Amino acid sequence: MSRIALLLLFRRTLLAVPILLCVSALVFLVLRLLPADPVAMSLPPGATADDLARLRQSFGLDRAIPVQYVLWLGKIITGDFGTSIFFRRDVGELIARALPATLELIAAGLLLGIAAGIIGGLAMFAWRGRTGEQVLDLATSGLMAIPEFLWAIVLILLFGVMWPVMPFIGRLGSGLVQPAPLTGFLLIDSVIIGRLDVFVSALRHLMLPAMALAIGIAPLIMRVLRSSLLDVIQEDYITQARLRGIAEHTILVRHALRNAALPTISLIGVQAGFMFGGTVLVEMIFAYPGLGNLMVDAVRNHDLPVIQAVALIYCVLVLGINAAVDVIYLAVNPKLRFAT
Amino acid sequence: MEVLEARNLSVSLVGVDVLRHISFTLRRGRVLGLVGESGAGKSMLGRVIARDLPTAFKVRSGALTFQGHDLVTIAGEKHRELLGDSIAFIPQEPLTALNPVLTIGQQFDEHLGRLGVPQADRRTRMITALGNVLLHDPVTLLDRYSFQISGGMCQRVLIAMAFASEPALIVADEPTTALDVSTQAHIVQIMRKMQRDHGTALLFITHDLRLAAHVCDDILVLYAGDIVERGPARTLTAMARHPYTLALQAANPPLDGPAHRLATLPEQMPGIGAFTTLPGCRFAPRCPVADEECGRAVPPLREIAPHHFVRCSGACLTQGAKASAPEPLPVATTTPGVPVLVLKDVAKHYPGERDWLGRRRPGTDAVKAINLTVRAGEFVGIVGESGSGKSTVAKLIMGLEPITAGRIAIDGNDVSVNDSAARQVRLGTLQMVFQDPQSALNPRRPVGRLITQSLEAARSTASEADRVMRARALLAETGLSADLLQRFPSQLSGGQKQRVNIARALCVTPRLLVADEIVSGLDVSVQAQILNLLLDLRRDRGIGLVFISHDLSVVRYLCSRVLVMQHGAVVEQGDAEAVLGRPQHPYTQSLIAAVPPEDPDRPWPCNSP
Repeated sequence: MSRIALLLLFRRTLLAVPILLCVSALVFLVLRLLPADPVAMSLPPGATADDLARLRQSFGLDRAIPVQYVLWLGKIITGDFGTSIFFRRDVGELIARALPATLELIAAGLLLGIAAGIIGGLAMFAWRGRTGEQVLDLATSGLMAIPEFLWAIVLILLFGVMWPVMPFIGRLGSGLVQPAPLTGFLLIDSVIIGRLDVFVSALRHLMLPAMALAIGIAPLIMRVLRSSLLDVIQEDYITQARLRGIAEHTILVRHALRNAALPTISLIGVQAGFMFGGTVLVEMIFAYPGLGNLMVDAVRNHDLPVIQAVALIYCVLVLGINAAVDVIYLAVNPKLRFAT
Repeated sequence: MEVLEARNLSVSLVGVDVLRHISFTLRRGRVLGLVGESGAGKSMLGRVIARDLPTAFKVRSGALTFQGHDLVTIAGEKHRELLGDSIAFIPQEPLTALNPVLTIGQQFDEHLGRLGVPQADRRTRMITALGNVLLHDPVTLLDRYSFQISGGMCQRVLIAMAFASEPALIVADEPTTALDVSTQAHIVQIMRKMQRDHGTALLFITHDLRLAAHVCDDILVLYAGDIVERGPARTLTAMARHPYTLALQAANPPLDGPAHRLATLPEQMPGIGAFTTLPGCRFAPRCPVADEECGRAVPPLREIAPHHFVRCSGACLTQGAKASAPEPLPVATTTPGVPVLVLKDVAKHYPGERDWLGRRRPGTDAVKAINLTVRAGEFVGIVGESGSGKSTVAKLIMGLEPITAGRIAIDGNDVSVNDSAARQVRLGTLQMVFQDPQSALNPRRPVGRLITQSLEAARSTASEADRVMRARALLAETGLSADLLQRFPSQLSGGQKQRVNIARALCVTPRLLVADEIVSGLDVSVQAQILNLLLDLRRDRGIGLVFISHDLSVVRYLCSRVLVMQHGAVVEQGDAEAVLGRPQHPYTQSLIAAVPPEDPDRPWPCNSP
């Protein structure tokens, strides 16, 4: 198993290189073709053409586009993402602060969404042909029909305004100061420094945005899992297990769920990719200081180095999630491991 | 000691009995065979025992007693405790009866856990049990998955699991139908040995009367939910009295002895929907000796000899079934001249596929340099077990796959490369009939359109009226009623569907049919009808046939020449009577030895696995 998984990861990594090159070139080119001059906009009204030229030169914007691209790429390989035109700070540093926040949000959203999806799928299956299934069916249709950013607003109205039990702005309560970042993940850092109040506050702040993201994936997982279970339960090996006198719940969990999980895992892989797109809007709505908000600020201010870097990070994240899903799929499906 | 006893058991679907007044006793250490064609209700009994009846099917009356428990009324939890412990099941499809994401060991271990075997003893128990069913290297087998081993090995694993609890009763529903003949012989041998050693009672459900005669002590013959004949296996097969049992025997071509035309029954077994229109004997409409009385009341099950019961009217039994003089088999007359089809050193190599890591797996030689000549009016059989490459030969002849070496000629024209010229030659001369009659027919087109499909070709000038006329002619030629023109495939029986497939192939008046296992999915009585239809087509049209089959008896009946294939190569070929009567190659000999002989007194299986 481990050898094949390593080979797969190796192949994935090799394939990721050309993909990343293409994406970075595309982003770089499109941004250069935009009729906006971020440098001119960042100068005070009284600046001379000389000032502008000097500043452009300091950002390397006076060179030919391919040269700029190669220089930029060369720096990125050494870990240097350049300097933000708007924030006037190191881009790597900006990303280092925003990335853990977004990862924390995505992890929480995936966890909630998958858990709800699996429980809901099992419930729909268990209640097949009964009212419970119809109710859940209707609920999933409703959940899927409304985009996640609208759900974010609905959640704020419900749990933040009408029944104010959950915070919905930022990552921490106003009375708390964010501790010096160790890993950048608040939930982990707070445990390391032993601050329970920070941990609880961070967790509470994570709830509503994570729920908004989870609503985006849970209904699909529910439906796919339900229909796979309905297929799998017809299989001969289920009948045969029943004929061996295996209890019904053991059959469901041990024999049916593992086989039914395969299509669901592929689906989660696809959906996790879409979730990164979802975080941009959700982070904006919840004023959550992650990559999404950084990206929005950068776009608003034509902050080319930041846009390029964040786009590249998103690409790496999506490729990473796909590779992870492949490895999980391999672990659950022995047919792929021992292809005959 | 009685292990299983049925008393007047009736199973019904919305008031219609699909099993009627079934009574039998199965004692310890005995094997009871339930024999019948599809729709006879033979699997229904196993499903009553398993409490796995399809929706809306109910046990209407009667009792089914297992060691003092009535399996119909016993509480659900108690019933589940019996399953796997006192009652074990051996399935029809061994490959799909094992969970593909769990190893053999994990599933066996789970079963032993359910039986209460302590964790520490399970591994030894599993290894011994797998060794007992003659599986080599049980230790590595425990870590393998079902898709990594053959169907025969899967079935041995399932047999080992079934016997693990030393159950009082084992229900085996067509346990060898999905397997090759030689594997079937091994599995039967292992099952019989285990059953004898443990004194288990075995309920053996099968469509194959000949197989049942060798496996079982007693046999029940079922027809449309009724027991029509019951008795000790030897007596019943040697002295069958019910017209249906006799018809079943007559429909099955023999592997030796004189060949004559198979006697066939008209039509097919009535479906559940037709049961209400048959108040009397349900076999009466097809029975060659039925009188008016038969249609009125169900005849009782009468004991005509000790332990030998027959459900037939007295008149018929006293008369005895008159054996009409067998019709001789029509002799093939081949025309000299240019053969219709010539294969010269034709080979097919499949390069290994790239796996998901991009590594190329080693390729396979599906067909190795075979030679074959078929003249007009000649029937040639290709036999072999699964994976022997016989179906690939069909695909190569039809041009569905490119050949990798050799030459193919049709009527002297080279069609080795299937370009547009070769396709024209093929279209007018060759047609193929497929194994699964169901999936070969578009379910959304009526029969009339289906069988005249080839008239839709661009160069066809047939008018709508021509098409209908042609369709009627084809239906008549294939023994189908003209009422079927507007029907859809879902409204036809399996035999009718295969006739439609043949009619469709005949539409372009081909000179050669390529038939890949076209009767293996059909019941024996329907199979006999189709085989005779093919003989009639040769007589009337002088058509040639390449007949691919795993069934040696059927090939002997139809074909004048036969090719025996193993691992993609022809190991023996020649005159069918000579090859099957005096086989020279050890593989052909083993194939023939694996077929259950017609005479129930000949010991079978005789080779050791």
